[in-house]
Amino acid sequence: MKGKVIAIHSSRGGTGKTLIATNLAATYASKGLNVALLDLDFRAPSLLTVFSKGIRRPVKHWLNDFINGRGTIEQALVDVSEKYNLRGRLFAGLANPGIEAIRNMMGRSRAWEVAAVKKLFSLRSTLSNDMGIDCCIFDTSPGIQYSSINAVISSDLSVIVTTLDSLDIEGVQKILAEFYDDFEKRAVVLMNKVFPETRIWSNGREKELINQMEAALKHPVIGVIPCYCDVLQADRASLLAIEKPDHPFLRNLQEVVEKLEHI
Amino acid sequence: MVVGETAKKKSPTLDVNALLTMLTDELNQINSKLDMMAELNGKILKTQEEFLRRITNGSHQGEVIKLQPDVMTLLSLPRSLRKTVMVLYKLKEATAEDLARETKRLRAVESASANQLVRMGYLKKKREGRKVYFYIE
Repeated sequence: MKGKVIAIHSSRGGTGKTLIATNLAATYASKGLNVALLDLDFRAPSLLTVFSKGIRRPVKHWLNDFINGRGTIEQALVDVSEKYNLRGRLFAGLANPGIEAIRNMMGRSRAWEVAAVKKLFSLRSTLSNDMGIDCCIFDTSPGIQYSSINAVISSDLSVIVTTLDSLDIEGVQKILAEFYDDFEKRAVVLMNKVFPETRIWSNGREKELINQMEAALKHPVIGVIPCYCDVLQADRASLLAIEKPDHPFLRNLQEVVEKLEHI
Repeated sequence: MVVGETAKKKSPTLDVNALLTMLTDELNQINSKLDMMAELNGKILKTQEEFLRRITNGSHQGEVIKLQPDVMTLLSLPRSLRKTVMVLYKLKEATAEDLARETKRLRAVESASANQLVRMGYLKKKREGRKVYFYIE
């Protein structure tokens, strides 16, 4: 696991990427690992809201500053572990949600994008060797755009989160075939917000759904997480992995964690 | 009649001469076609080099276009070249031997691939002693 970089990606928005990324990071940290969770969705930042309870001081350095070469990654990471009383340490790299910052990150030159990828590639050794980070999770923007594919190509593995919506599935098929396979990047699929009735499905029936999806996507499916109304309605500033560790959503995610450790 | 008797009766000398003449004609035709192909290939290479010179040196209408191996551009490159750039993103700078170690391809293949990317303007190279290092500027 040491130094592993995992990108949480999707073909379209609204699949639950941030929910998966934050709870995955919190689960690893509660197991004693040191984790860095980076918000690489510079157009629609969300981690500031999620960790708002855990941040005491106003944020001085954003992840935008690191990518723009105006600060180090150490400066851009906020330690949120104390607030959540975790066994390991959890650092959050927050994207600036200000309109000016979002506008500033859009429409950058190709040379800037090349420099951004170099920065992301260089993160690995700094986080692992200098900061003792065991696992880094990138919460990416959806689809094929610079911010998301820069994150994907600089990671070791991508978890593509999808719902059963046909638009999502078609989108995943497309990005797997036209992007991941072209770059020879490893990717696994996580099905989220699946029909509530799957909660009472037998293992055989769930396996049948996984087999169908794997045949259609030609990539492994590492989990099926049913749709839970209370999860969808929960305050975005709450971390289920910390506040409701016995929630069935977390039990499903725990299976994903175990599978990811062996990939 | 014994099998093969008819064949023995024909004089093989005449047939061989005719065959050799035919073969010579065919070879001459192939040779002239190869000459034409080499000439065409030379013209194509010259045009490509001229195009690359224009876009990398900016001598075309005074416009400077610098090529960047960003991820969108990588998608349009052949897979073999893309792989070399990806490794260079990871290693920052590398010799053909370093590249070959990462990609598990032959050193000669990596050398050819990296040099092609240099000619295309996506990579730079520098010499340090006897070693040549490739890098993304």
